[in-house]
Amino acid sequence: MEKPIIKKSLFYIFPGLLIFFYALAAFSGENEGTRNIKKAIVKLNKAQQVKAVIPVPKNIVRANVKYQGGVFFTETRKDKIKRFRCSSCHNNKKVSIQNAAAIAHADIKVVHGGKDKPLSCYTCHSQEDRDFLVAGKESKIDLDHVYDMCGQCHFRQKRDWIGGAHGKRVAYWAGERVVKNCTSCHNPHSPRFEKRWPKTYSVPQK
Amino acid sequence: MDSDKKKKINRRTFLKGAASAAITGGVAVTAGCKGKGLLGSSEAFALEFQEYFKKHYRLMTKTERKETVSRLEKLARLRQDITVNIDTTGPSENVLFGYAFNVTRCEGYMECVQACVEENNLDRKSNTQYIRVFEMEHGQMSPDKGDGKYFHMVPKEGHFYMGVQCFHCENPPCVKACPTKATWKEKDGIVVVDYDWCIGCRYCMAACPYWGRRFNWNQPEVPKEEITKEQHYLGNRKRVKGMMEKCTFCIQRSRKGELTACVEACPTGARVFGNLLDPDSEIRFVLENKKVYRLKEDLGTDPKFWYFID
Repeated sequence: MEKPIIKKSLFYIFPGLLIFFYALAAFSGENEGTRNIKKAIVKLNKAQQVKAVIPVPKNIVRANVKYQGGVFFTETRKDKIKRFRCSSCHNNKKVSIQNAAAIAHADIKVVHGGKDKPLSCYTCHSQEDRDFLVAGKESKIDLDHVYDMCGQCHFRQKRDWIGGAHGKRVAYWAGERVVKNCTSCHNPHSPRFEKRWPKTYSVPQK
Repeated sequence: MDSDKKKKINRRTFLKGAASAAITGGVAVTAGCKGKGLLGSSEAFALEFQEYFKKHYRLMTKTERKETVSRLEKLARLRQDITVNIDTTGPSENVLFGYAFNVTRCEGYMECVQACVEENNLDRKSNTQYIRVFEMEHGQMSPDKGDGKYFHMVPKEGHFYMGVQCFHCENPPCVKACPTKATWKEKDGIVVVDYDWCIGCRYCMAACPYWGRRFNWNQPEVPKEEITKEQHYLGNRKRVKGMMEKCTFCIQRSRKGELTACVEACPTGARVFGNLLDPDSEIRFVLENKKVYRLKEDLGTDPKFWYFID
């Protein structure tokens, strides 16, 4: 009489287990795609992800910080400033410049730092050596590595920028990592983006 | 047995032969009469006729792909008088494209929408756009309640912006819905459409929970000088009336390692694009370090498009 009972219970147990494991797999919370992404932990060769030849853009400089994948490059700043070097005017000698009044930075309005603690020129620019920025005593910052300056206050943004969640890459997702510098997008004197009209519009849909 | 099969003429080869015979006959007749018939040049007509007998893109051999590409390029030269370069680059190994969108950073300038329209040769007449940007009040989560038709100075106080496009799901419902298998997921995760195999039934449009697909209700019109010449067979090549099209992560650019047009145009850096299988990539950094969410995740479509907050 005992054997049939076991057999009967098995009849219920097997389908029950089947349903249980199926449900476990279905509701384990992760899709196949997500799992595949998590599985991919092997470092890839930068050059071999795409067959096409990826040119390295001009006017870039190696950043003096490293991201998760090693060294990366950022756009230069000094070649984009019209009258660099600053010390060609800002020095101890007398210089005679035509239109000096017009080009003496009167057009720059500093909208940076909020109303309570507005920044002034010398918050960032070095008073002694005009070709450099300064953060604290004797810490000259080259204008190409301006992220070191901005990161003094905006350290969260700097961390994201190094990792890749802030800012953007230049032209290519593959190959050597070249990203935009802070000043490529932001005007350092008034870094907030201005209000403006959108470039286009959407027609009513749905 | 095999050799017997090869000798037999099947339906396709018969039709092909008959067609080419008809073409040569027709060409000879039209050339004899006028040189140029009612249908433009007879060469273009012949090419267009041959295009009807090509296979599904995935079933084509390399030579067949080359042939159809050369036909399409010739047609572009004859019909539109432009020189295009149609690419058929396949997916690379160890590449799975992913996309992230920073809702905190987006200011709603819609530069991405314009760049997308220009890059992908979208129809200017009906104003087809792959990307929609919704203006949403703080606290809203779903673009259902957002305003997708805003046109005023942006950013507006107390609002944030959310871009929506094709999410290139890992489990795409549109692919399941297609009766002719004209749409499929490539190995690098891009969901593409074979425009010539699409019958325009719009089942995929109904199946997509994100409204990521667009239908050509009319013959797409793009000004000749604005056409992007670098094209891909599955991307921004010429489409005709009655075909489905969609965002392809700019397949003609991304397969070559370039950023998509929307990412490159974004002035605020709200868009992140990269290889999900590369642990050093930006997109992986975002997934591992930021608060991310996906739209309608409960549907199980597993989209490869994440939204994140700073």
